[in-house]
Amino acid sequence: MLKSWKLKEVVLMSLFAVVFGIVYLLFVHAANIWAAVIGPLAYEWMFGIWFIVSIICMYIIRKPGAAFLSETMAAAIEVLIGNAVGPRLILTGVVQGLGAEAAFALTGYKHFNILVLMLAGIGSAVFSFIYGYFVSGYAALDPSFVALMFTIRVLSGAIIAGIGGKYIGDALLATGSLRGYAIARTKKGDMNA
Amino acid sequence: MRNLLHNMNPSVKFIAVTISMLTIAFFFNPWTPLLFFVSILLLQLTMSHINWKLWLLFMLPFSIGAFGYLWTTVVFGADTGGTIIWSFAGINVTDEQWAHALSLSFRVMAFSSLSLMFAFTTDPVKFILSLMQQLKLSPKLAYGVMVGYQFLPVMKDEFTQIQQAQRLRGVEVEKRSWQRIVSMRRVLIPMLAGAVRKAERSAFAMEARGFTGEPRNAYYRPILLSRTDVLMSGVFLIILLTSCFGGIWLN
Repeated sequence: MLKSWKLKEVVLMSLFAVVFGIVYLLFVHAANIWAAVIGPLAYEWMFGIWFIVSIICMYIIRKPGAAFLSETMAAAIEVLIGNAVGPRLILTGVVQGLGAEAAFALTGYKHFNILVLMLAGIGSAVFSFIYGYFVSGYAALDPSFVALMFTIRVLSGAIIAGIGGKYIGDALLATGSLRGYAIARTKKGDMNA
Repeated sequence: MRNLLHNMNPSVKFIAVTISMLTIAFFFNPWTPLLFFVSILLLQLTMSHINWKLWLLFMLPFSIGAFGYLWTTVVFGADTGGTIIWSFAGINVTDEQWAHALSLSFRVMAFSSLSLMFAFTTDPVKFILSLMQQLKLSPKLAYGVMVGYQFLPVMKDEFTQIQQAQRLRGVEVEKRSWQRIVSMRRVLIPMLAGAVRKAERSAFAMEARGFTGEPRNAYYRPILLSRTDVLMSGVFLIILLTSCFGGIWLN
């Protein structure tokens, strides 16, 4: 899978993972404090934040694996920083990354318009929810409450990760630093982008 | 004795932690996670030397989160069977619900203690090297992650620099918290643009010095498997089995 990757693309993913690793950590702390007040619902509406790096990296690099690898890397970097969630975070990253990756794989890695990016956010949300259902034991909660959690998470994935990710990617493209990456090369030709 | 957890091979430790976590997730009685939490604490007390003050500081947010789980499960719990043990403000709490709530909160505590144990006893660089050497992670990815890790302090400095530069030019700090979150983009975009440039420069430097990213057989810093790993895997297995069967038995 990595044969077609340039080293600079791998390192780019890793540095993005560092930046978002820090951002993610800030939100984990914020969410933990919220969680004491309103319970697990606190995490749901900001869940999209934690999916964003996979969408940004895929939007820029546009190669199979970009979503999965970047999310996993971000989780790994978070663990390396010594954050308290620890190695189980890597697993969460893998699951979320696979969710976004699945959406891009469904469209054959050809289209990177806002709808596909939102779909990727939803993919992450669905995958992470299934994982959370199992690991955090949502089965012990009231089904209607679980449904509410699920809806909020999917919306958060589509809006924060999908729309937010595209917004950041476009803003970054406008700075001109992305010359030499797939996003800048296909911008003119791809009418769907 | 007190070095055992630190000397364990990081990949083996990672696998042990992951397997324990996935197994505990199958149990919905309060005893299994509680037993597991206590055993991990004992393990860490006897086989590691860590900064316990820092540990408590990291554990605090998780304890708060566990409390959040406790009361939401009591209020929004699925089961209404069982006998009512107490009621408060019109909410009847049955013994089954209470057991579920305790189970989920102890689960948060068990997972957090396990994760903290890993984080406090593992050298991050050794972890990546071990992933590459024992679990055959691609060197391209492994060294890519390490480049990112090395840039961490630089990124932190850059973050304050960008903020200070913007404040000098009259950008005000938002007062409301949600506005502060939205205004993060002002710092985020320059940081990401800087990250893109750093990535290109370091990738170029690595390739110029002959880094190809091909798998290799010999390493400059070999991370080895030893007898400690067999011993510690056994200890983890015993803890896991004790908590699982002990939990069922106590229930």
